[in-house]
Order: sequence, then structure tokens, then C-alpha cells
Amino acid sequence: MQVEISRRKFLQGTVAMTVLGGTALSSTNLFSSVHTAKPVTGDINFGTTKTGTGKITQVATLCEMCVNKCAAFASVENGIITKLNPNPLFPKSKNMLCPRGNAGIQSIYDPDRLKYPMVRVGEKGEGKFKRVTWGEAYEAILNGTDKFPGMKKILDEEKDNRSSFLFCAGEGMAEHTFKQFYQAFGSANWLNHASICLQTVSSGYGVTLGTYPQSDLENAEYIIMAGANRAEAIVTPDSMDLFKRTKGRGAKLICIDPRFTNTAIKSDKWLAINPGTDLAFVLALTYVTLTEELENKEYIEKHFNNYEQYKESILTNKYTPQWAEKITGIKAKEIYTIAREFAQAAPKAVYYPGRRSTFSKNDFQLRRAMAIFQALHGAIDCKGGLVFGKKIPLKSHEGLAPLYERSEARAVVKNTNAKVGEAGYDDCAVVSGGGSWLSWRNHYLTDTHPYKVRGMFCYKHNPMMNMPNTAKTAQMLKKMELVVTIDTMPSDTVMYADVVLPECTYLERTDPVKTFGGVEPSIAVRNKVVEPLYESKPVMEILNGLTKKISKPLFEITKAYDEDVQEEIEDSSEEEVYSEFDLNLPFKHTQEELNHHAVSMYEGAAEKLHKDGVFYPDMDKYFKELSINEHQYYPENKKAYSVRGGAPKTPSGKVECNIKSFAQKGVDPMPIWRDEYNFVVPNGKFKLLTGRHAQFTQSGTANNVMLRDLMPENFIWINKRVAKEKNIKFADIVEVSSETGKVQLKAYPTEKIAPNQVFFIHGFGEESDALTWAYKNGGNDNTVISDGMEPVYGAAAMHETNVEIRKV
Amino acid sequence: MANYGMALDYKNCINCKACEVACKEENGVLLGADSHRIWVGANDVKGEWPNLDIANASFMPSQCQHCENAPCQEVCPTQATFYDENGIVQVDVDKCILCSYCMVACPYDARYVDDRTMTVDKCTFCSDTRLVRGEITTACQNTCPTKVRTFGDLDDPESEISILLMTREHFSLKAHLGTKPKLFYLT
Amino acid sequence: MFNKILPHRKITIKALFEFDKTPFNIFMGFLTFILVMAFVVGVGNYLIHGHHAYGVTREHPWGLMIAMYVFFVVSSTGLCIISALGHVFKFKSFEFIGKRAIFGAIITIISGFAVIAFEIGHPVRMAIYNTISPGVTSAIWGMGVLYSIYLGLITLEFIFLSRNDHKWSTMFGLGGLVIGIAAHSNLGAVFGFLIGRPMTNGVFYPIYFILSAMITGCYLILLMYGYKYKMKFNKELTKFLVHIARLLGLLLGILIFFEFWRFLTAIYGNVPERADTALHVLASPNFLFGELLLGMLIPFFIILFTKAKAIKYLIYASFGGMIGIFFMRYDLVHDTLVYPMQMMKITEYQLAPTLIHYSPTWTEWAISLGAIGITLSFYYIGENFFFLDPIEHDEYFEDYQEIK
Repeated sequence: MQVEISRRKFLQGTVAMTVLGGTALSSTNLFSSVHTAKPVTGDINFGTTKTGTGKITQVATLCEMCVNKCAAFASVENGIITKLNPNPLFPKSKNMLCPRGNAGIQSIYDPDRLKYPMVRVGEKGEGKFKRVTWGEAYEAILNGTDKFPGMKKILDEEKDNRSSFLFCAGEGMAEHTFKQFYQAFGSANWLNHASICLQTVSSGYGVTLGTYPQSDLENAEYIIMAGANRAEAIVTPDSMDLFKRTKGRGAKLICIDPRFTNTAIKSDKWLAINPGTDLAFVLALTYVTLTEELENKEYIEKHFNNYEQYKESILTNKYTPQWAEKITGIKAKEIYTIAREFAQAAPKAVYYPGRRSTFSKNDFQLRRAMAIFQALHGAIDCKGGLVFGKKIPLKSHEGLAPLYERSEARAVVKNTNAKVGEAGYDDCAVVSGGGSWLSWRNHYLTDTHPYKVRGMFCYKHNPMMNMPNTAKTAQMLKKMELVVTIDTMPSDTVMYADVVLPECTYLERTDPVKTFGGVEPSIAVRNKVVEPLYESKPVMEILNGLTKKISKPLFEITKAYDEDVQEEIEDSSEEEVYSEFDLNLPFKHTQEELNHHAVSMYEGAAEKLHKDGVFYPDMDKYFKELSINEHQYYPENKKAYSVRGGAPKTPSGKVECNIKSFAQKGVDPMPIWRDEYNFVVPNGKFKLLTGRHAQFTQSGTANNVMLRDLMPENFIWINKRVAKEKNIKFADIVEVSSETGKVQLKAYPTEKIAPNQVFFIHGFGEESDALTWAYKNGGNDNTVISDGMEPVYGAAAMHETNVEIRKV
Repeated sequence: MANYGMALDYKNCINCKACEVACKEENGVLLGADSHRIWVGANDVKGEWPNLDIANASFMPSQCQHCENAPCQEVCPTQATFYDENGIVQVDVDKCILCSYCMVACPYDARYVDDRTMTVDKCTFCSDTRLVRGEITTACQNTCPTKVRTFGDLDDPESEISILLMTREHFSLKAHLGTKPKLFYLT
Repeated sequence: MFNKILPHRKITIKALFEFDKTPFNIFMGFLTFILVMAFVVGVGNYLIHGHHAYGVTREHPWGLMIAMYVFFVVSSTGLCIISALGHVFKFKSFEFIGKRAIFGAIITIISGFAVIAFEIGHPVRMAIYNTISPGVTSAIWGMGVLYSIYLGLITLEFIFLSRNDHKWSTMFGLGGLVIGIAAHSNLGAVFGFLIGRPMTNGVFYPIYFILSAMITGCYLILLMYGYKYKMKFNKELTKFLVHIARLLGLLLGILIFFEFWRFLTAIYGNVPERADTALHVLASPNFLFGELLLGMLIPFFIILFTKAKAIKYLIYASFGGMIGIFFMRYDLVHDTLVYPMQMMKITEYQLAPTLIHYSPTWTEWAISLGAIGITLSFYYIGENFFFLDPIEHDEYFEDYQEIK
């Protein structure tokens, strides 16, 4: 269609460049003809573009602004990304981009981003660095400088104990690539975000149902969402599906939350609950279900282990709604109603599992109780209930996992598991793959690790901001002798680094192809949109260069101390042995080659993924545009609602109510209530809650100007009546203090929070002065949150801190 | 040669503000609190914790209503504000003298001053950015996570928006003023 | 030759500084100078920073400068009407003020244009597109065009009055009056046509503007002649001033009557937006002290209780009256905009929108008050170089002689 081209004049360049007043781009790589972006179809020609070139190229990519990886098309004009638009082909994200997805352009053009490798020249934590070349950076990592030791020295002194290096990473599509480095290196010390995120909830469901399930919110008719804020903590496709159906349009949403969140506003009923007492609520629901015989007896007969024991526990402990009302604050009448309504809607009913950092010490038992409650109604592996879905398999590629004889076992070891001669300690019953960050850090600070850990590699991870008790994290980083960070922004953690390696943003690289399981499974890939700016590189290339430099010299150390290796060299040859220890092996191929290999068994997949970013078998047949806003990805009869005939995915094929192995570790084998779980706030103090808004992803987006435009800083929620008493008005600065620390930020008097609780969102109050917009903006919750852990997996319990509020 | 309007299933809206960011990125709108073409409005919650009013606390996305009887067009002394052939109310950047009469006359707070041209600016239904290259979707509609918006030609009786408006009840803001707004809130 | 077109005295710079150096005169000279300087500085700051130098916002796009513009054109129209009472409607006792009043009308409207030129973002564009691409439904277009014509007409009227050409001056006077009233009620319609602003929408402003113009005109005449004669009036002049005062009293009475019903109907029934705004206005000091007390009640009661005889007090009260008129204009603009058009929060961490707050920046004050300096300068120039009082060949010179 023809539209009269308006005489509005477009300024050259994007919003980023105009607003920040100066050029945000270095010219070195931008128009370089040495690496041209691969030709991509989808060129659009028309008169008015932001750069006046008249041509837009669309590249399929996946957003990295949060965990969801929504599919997007990046519009590129003259080498500049001018817009990110949703890609309708991805079943998981369903043709949308949230505010952070749209603001992704600012992450590549942020003038504050890391541009070149740097090496520390000041004191640790000062943030004083000097620019170096990549070669010099690798050299500094291997051999150190006058300010810090290198890997060679440390490994030599530790006699090739590879576990003397800690590897930690945040969630991302290239986390896998970094993990290959860790595995090849041979350390046993791996920490990721799991223990400050969803470790407990996913394990709670994992041991009960066999895996952490998804929810079919497109078809569920009754949903209890307790402590999950899907309107603000967006998860695809849940947030997309759910809110079209609440308010009498097909689904009834019961929101249980101490705060009146945006989810509460969108729900059909909101019930305020005392923080950390959800377990009592679930036990009471279970009690009603069992006493009124609302459960699905047939399902229980077929698919439950130790049901009778659990039932007896519930009944003898008398977890009545009246009992729960005293603990939770939710009226008994409501509990009866909810239990009955849930049963009526089952199996199209979901007690939403949730997916966030741990509230309190009883979280593990809570999630188990939730899983069992859901299973009581048979709403497992079925349409409208919890679903396991299907995953489209990918071909894996060989990694490298050599055995280093001198490498110690993981430095988070339960006493009873400790080998003879090994010191151990017990902060948590189970040490999962992701470890327990808080336990690890606190033991590091008190020198109670069984051996010395002296260096760390940190990828896309921000310990200074992400875990409770910031002061202790700073101590840890100061104490660590060699800190290498790989990041895109000069975060608070980067300020404590010895060597800083700049990774390019997600828009500048191709990442490992990933399979996304669910009711409508698919494979998706992130394609490089523009060449990396400045001297940044994808982590694949960074590790390629690094391993080339350090592999051989470090192998020399292995040769010197590792008796097994010495024997093997005698038996065969050094070359042969080294081929299994060559750290560079996993990085020899390009990401594009690896991706091709991964999908090689699907005809046409590689091309489709390159052009459109998404693939699944029969996609051309199934995918249809039903309307402007709705697409069909799979026809109804091809959706994977049920893959196990209703059975859970546990090894036994049954829902595990009573897990005796936990009893041996001092963990309740069945969810029961203990008095220590009661919600207690000392008089005059407040329980501090934390959480999210849709405009920010934790601390990673704090410097993004587009997002700060929506919300310039975080405020602390204080009940209006309490604020009035303390003469605190809107935007007054208040000091929040706990035993752990103190922080100042502005006050937001509101009735959306209880009089004995306060709340503010996580991710603000950065101390890195290299972040123009984030520096000292708002308050950092982790300065104040105490570093208590839940006892099963050692995950950080985030809602157990009592604070004082004082007007400044 | 169309008559564009937008239907909003506002109960879907979760106030994430994706539309606000998409609008600014697509149309090159400057950052700044006053400088916004579209917004999502929210009420202050009524009641005292824990008895809070869910029904009243709704999210209402809003922007220029592209009224068929636009007060802004009527009061512009130089005809800088005009209806283009697609029924979109536009501002001619060369003719606007910044008398701000349209800003005073608009009942919807849709207009603001663009600091670069020192003229009045507002939502243009992405006509110079998306419509001009053949994409009949606005940036805000395209990006919305819960698909609140449906944009389309009201003159085409078979367009999605026309069918929506004929089959679902809806209301418009300040309809009693007779501005004939073309943003329809589906109930 | 120029003297033939427009009679005037010899114009020299030296003559400007030849005045009776009484303390009051020196003060007036100094004040004028300061105000003009303020205007220059304000304009300078505007030229550097553009519209950001002003305190207008998205929700409150009109501010002090618009109010000042209205203040000046109201004064101008008022003086034109009062002057027309004399030589258009031929009320004998008003005839001798003709030239002075019209001259006042000219200089006030020029000052008004000086203010608005720096408020409109692109004044040159306005001149062009108002002509080639007119928005004829726009009251601002109507007002702009009509006031431009009005200025032309009253300038011609002044020229012909100075040449004692009563045929032409009457014609232009009538034209000026009609166009002036049309322009001025158009200005009122700028506000009256606003359908989104219940407090302002409707018939009141177009009509009340004419009334308040006449009141302003009366105040200004009182001030002008009070200043000229240094409060020493002979019998004839006193008689004239009493006539003005009686006229003023009548007009004030009508105004008070209008305002009473205006507010009562605005509040009655508690209609949202309208009633809220009206109650807010009634409680604000701007209205109570400015508009009501200074602008209406004090002069009215002086006239009422002294049967219009306390001229000296009245002239002092006229000064307060002009301040009251100023507040009427400021309130006009502010009251129109005070109620927000959308009442929802657009971000979480803000207070819910309440009545819009506005305060002018120093630049706006400088330009607005500085424009008064322009008026005073021109008045002084006019007093010195033009014949603002009747001279020998003027028709009513004899009547004037008695007054003098």
C-alpha cells in the first residue's frame, strides 16, 4: 500500500546516539569490510529509514535480556541496529518482545560497555585498569603481573590441584560454552546462579515428580499463583497465555502474595499471606482435599508412592484451615473455597510451581507439598495441568573432560560424604550441580575449605550484586588472588577483577543452538546481527585464544605433578596424552559449524534456523497466522500435553510422597510444618521482601537508558499508615538497616504492602562508577539481606531479613 | 485510503511498558518523562491492606485517539494538524508554530513538544516508520506480550478490527465530548 | 513631510532626557529602564535556551506569557472602547481623551505582540502559514488575523485623529472598535471553544472579555490622567473622572454579578472536573486577593460608598485594580489548564496526578514584566513627541481648555 511519505525529517542514527549526544560507536569495526555479515534474506526497500539508506536487513536472533530467549528480528540499516521486532515463528515467546527485549538495542550501543581487554593497575576493587591487547591479557592471566599472580604460578604452587580455580557463570545461551572450559580445565568448583535462583523449587518438584514441570496456562481453568508474579516477572509463554484469560474470560486466577503485585491486579482474587508461610496454606488445602474426599483416587492408586503415610501425616497433624489461618493470615473460609474450586476444575487446574529465588528455609518442603497437592488431583501430564512436554533432540558434540589426579573434589562437601582425610562441612543436605554460592563463599572467607582456592573465572555473572551480604562478597573478591571476569558491562564485580575480558553482546554473536521443550517444542538459534564492536569477542573466541595460550604451559605443570599422566606418557607418547588434555579442543570449531552439526539430522533445519531463527519438524505445515495477534504453531492434536500417560517422570514412575533418603540427611522426608517456620517480625521492624518489575532484569539492565526512562530508580514500599506515623512522605530518603548492612533509598508509601513488611526491587544501587546511569542509583537490596540459606540445597533464603526503617 | 483505528483488549494489559519502549525505539522519540507518545495508565489502589480493590485497579494503555472529530485539528491556526488519507491525525512539522493550542485543546493529554524540531508531536500510528514500508501493524501492537492491541482499517468491514468491534462491546474515552475517538476499549 | 502625515513635535534624543527631575519622575524613569533591561535579558536567555527557559510543561503548555499577552490586548481593546465612547459614539465628555486612549491602545497591543512573539515557537512561520494555509476554525487564527487588522485600523485612526481628520478617524475608529471587539471575543473564544476543559468551555469568556476590557480601559484612563495631572484635578476634569468612575462602578457591578453566577453554576451539582476546578479557584489566594479583592471589590466599594466622588482613592485603587486584572489573566490561563486531562499514574513510583502545578521561570517573569517597561517607554515617547491631548485645531479644543 502506498502511504504518503511524511515530510518528517529523520535524524541520522538511532535514539541511542541522539539522546546521549555523542557518538556511541567506535568506527573501527562498524563498517569494516573484513568481516562482512553473512547475506541474509528479508531485505526491505522503501523510502524512509532512520539512516536514510532506504534498505533494512532483518536478522533472526534470540533476546538475551533475560532467561526467556524470545525470538526477535533485528532490523539493520547500514550496519546499525535500529529496531528489534518480535519473531512470530517461535512457539515459546508467541510473537512478542517485552520492554527489555525492545531496549536490547541500548545494550549494544551503551557507551559504558566494556570495549577492550583490561588489566588491573590499581588496588583491588578500585576499578583502576589499563587497556591491553588480547595477547597481553592472556599473558597476564597465564603469568600474572606485579599486581597479581598468574595461573601458572598458582597451579604450580598448588601442585596441579585444578580445583584451586573457581568457575562461576550466570545463565545465558553461551553458558554451555564457558562450562566446556571449566570441564576441560578439570576443576571441581563450579558455581552458577541456581543457588540464588530456582534451585530449591526445581529440585522440590524434581524429587517429587521427576522433573521441574511447565504449566499449561492456555487451557487451565483454575490457577493458584502463590509468590509468582507473572505480570512482572515475565515468563514465556505463561505470561502470554494467562492474562488473556483471567477476569472471567476462561480461567480463574487466585493470587496468593504478601504484596499487591500487578499479578494480583490481573487476578480474580488476591489473598495476602504472611511471607514464608505458604507451606501451611498448602498443607491446609491438602487437609481439606483429603477430608472432603476431593482427591482423584484412581490417579493416586496408579501413580503414588507412600500416599497413605502422607495422608496420615496430614490428618494426624491436623493441618486444618483454621490452624492455617492463624499462621498465614488467610481466612479459613477462603482455604476451603479454594480447595473445593481447585478440585472442581481439576484436572484443568494448576497450583503454579513458581520459579524464583527461595523465600524461606522451608521452601523445599513447600514445593514438595505443592507438587503432591497438584498430583492428588491427577492434574499431571495432561491438558490444563502441569505438563512435561516434548523436547526436540539435538546432536551433542564431544566435550573434553580429562581426569586430573591432583584435582580435589568439590569444595562444598557434606561431612558424611567426605573421603577419608578430607575435611568437610555441612551447610546443606544436598550439593547440586550448581552448588551453593553462599555456603562456598562463607567457607572461603572463614578459611574452612578443605584446600586453597586461589583464582576464579567469572562469566556473565555479578556476585557483587546477585547474592545476599554484599560486604562479604567484596571481601571474597578481594581475597581471591586472580579474578578474571568476562562480561559486557563494567559491573560491580568487574571492578574487583584483575583481568577484564570484554564479551560482545548477544546481538554481535551466534550462540549455540538450543532446543526448547514444552507442549509446543522447537529449536531456536541466535544469529549474529552485526560484527562485534570495539575489540569485544564472543566467549567462544575469547576462550579459543585463552586456551591456546595457557593449555601447553599448564599441561607442563600437570606433567610435573600428576603421576597418572606421567605413567600414560611413558606408555604412549606425550602428543597422544596431550591430545586429551588440550584445553583448546572444544573451541576449535566456529559456533556456526557446531550449530550445523547439532541440527544435521533435520533436513532444512540449518537453513531455516539461519534465516528465521526457529525450526521444528513439520513447521511449514503446522505454522499458520490465524489473526494479527494469534498464530498456530502446532494443531491442537499435535500439541504434547501428555507424554507419560499421566505418570510422573520419577525413576519409579510414581509421585514420591515420602523420600526416606532425605531423612538420613536430616531433612524431613515428607512436608510437615515446624514451629520455626512461623512468620515472626519483632516489634518496630519490618520483613524485607524483594522481587521484580517487568522493566528490569535483576542488575543486568540497571544502566539501560531506555529502561531507566520508564522507571528512574527503585523505591521502597512502605505501608501508607506506617509512613504517616513515621512522617515519611513520597520520595523521602529513608535508611534501611539490618544486621547485615544498610542502604538508603526513596520511600513509596502505598497500601499494596502490609504494615509489618517492606519491599523494593532488586538490581539497583550499583557502586561501579563506570556505569553512568546505574552508579549509586537507588538501593541495593543485597547490602541488607542476610545470607541465611535453606537447609536442603544451600540456596539463599531471600525473605528472612528483618530491617529497621528510619527517615534520613 | 483507509481509516485506521485501534481496538484494545485492555484487560490483557499487564503494564509491562513494552509498548512504550517499542514506540520510542521505532519512532525515535526522545527519552524524558514528558516526552512520550503512548503510555499505560494505572490507578492508585483503593482500600487498605489487605482489603484492596482489584476491580478498580486496572491498566489503561492510551495515546492519541486519532479522533474523527479532532479538537486539535479544529483549533490549529495554520492547519499544521491535519487528517491524512488514512484517517490518521498528523502534524506537519514545517507548519507548526508551537502555539500549543492543540495541546490545550486535546482532552486526552496526547501531545507534547518534540525538542528537536520545537513542534508538537504525538502518536502517528507509526505512519512514517511502519505503515510507509507496508507493515500494517504499529510498533506497540506488534510487541505487546499479551496482545492487547488490534490495529486495522475501520472502513474495511472484513478487517479484524471491524469484526472485533461488531462482535464485542467496547467503549471510548471521553466519548461524551463528541471527539469520535478511534481507540476502542473492549470490555 | 512626515509631519504632514502624522503631526508630532521635534524628535531628539536630548529631548527624551529633558523632564522635570522630581524624585517620582526619576523613579519612573529608572523603573522603565530596569523593566526594559529585564525584557532584553529575558529574551536573550530565551534565544540561547529556547523554550526550555520557560516553565511550561506538557500538561500546562500555556503560562505567564500567554497571560501577559492577554493582559496587554485586553488593555488595548479596553482603551479602544473607552476612546470610541468619545469620538465614535460622540459622548461629549469622553471626547478629549480620544488620542491619548488610542495611543495607549496601540502601545499596549505592541507590547502584547512583543511578549507573544517570544512565546510562539515559530513566529515567522505563523505569519506565512496563517496566510497561505489558514485554519479558519481556529480561534487563534481568528484572533491573530483580527488583531493584526485591528492594529492597522487603530494606527490609522490615531494618525487621522492627529491630523484632526474626523471623517476618517471616525470611520477607522468604528472599524477599529468593531474589529477590536471581534478580535477580543475571539480571544475569549480561544478558551471558550475548549471542549475538554469544562470550567472554561462555553459562552462566558467571549462575553466577559469585552466587559473586563472596558473595566481595564477605565482603570487605565484613571491611571493615565492621575499620573498626568499628579492627582491635582480641576473641576471639569473631576467631573469627567467621576463619569469614568460611575461607568466603572456599573461595569464592576455587572462583573461581580457575572462572576457570582459563573461560579455558582460551576459548583452547583458538583459535576466532576468543573466543580473541582471552581472550588480550587475559589480557595486560591490568586483569586481571593488578586481578582476579587484588588480587582473588583475595593474599587467597587470605593465607588459605591463615596458615590464615585473619592477620585484620589479611586486612582490609587486603580493601581490595585490593574494588579487584580493581571491576576484575572493569569488565573484565566491557569484555571483552564489546572485539571489534568488524564488522571492515571504513568509510572509506578509517582504520586497520583492531582491539580497541575505551574510556576513561571525568571525568564518568563523578565519578559512579561519587562514588556510593561516597553509600554511605559512608548508612553513616554508618545507623551513627548506626539500630541496626545487636543491641540488648537482640534474640534473639541475648547472643551478641553476648560478641563486643562
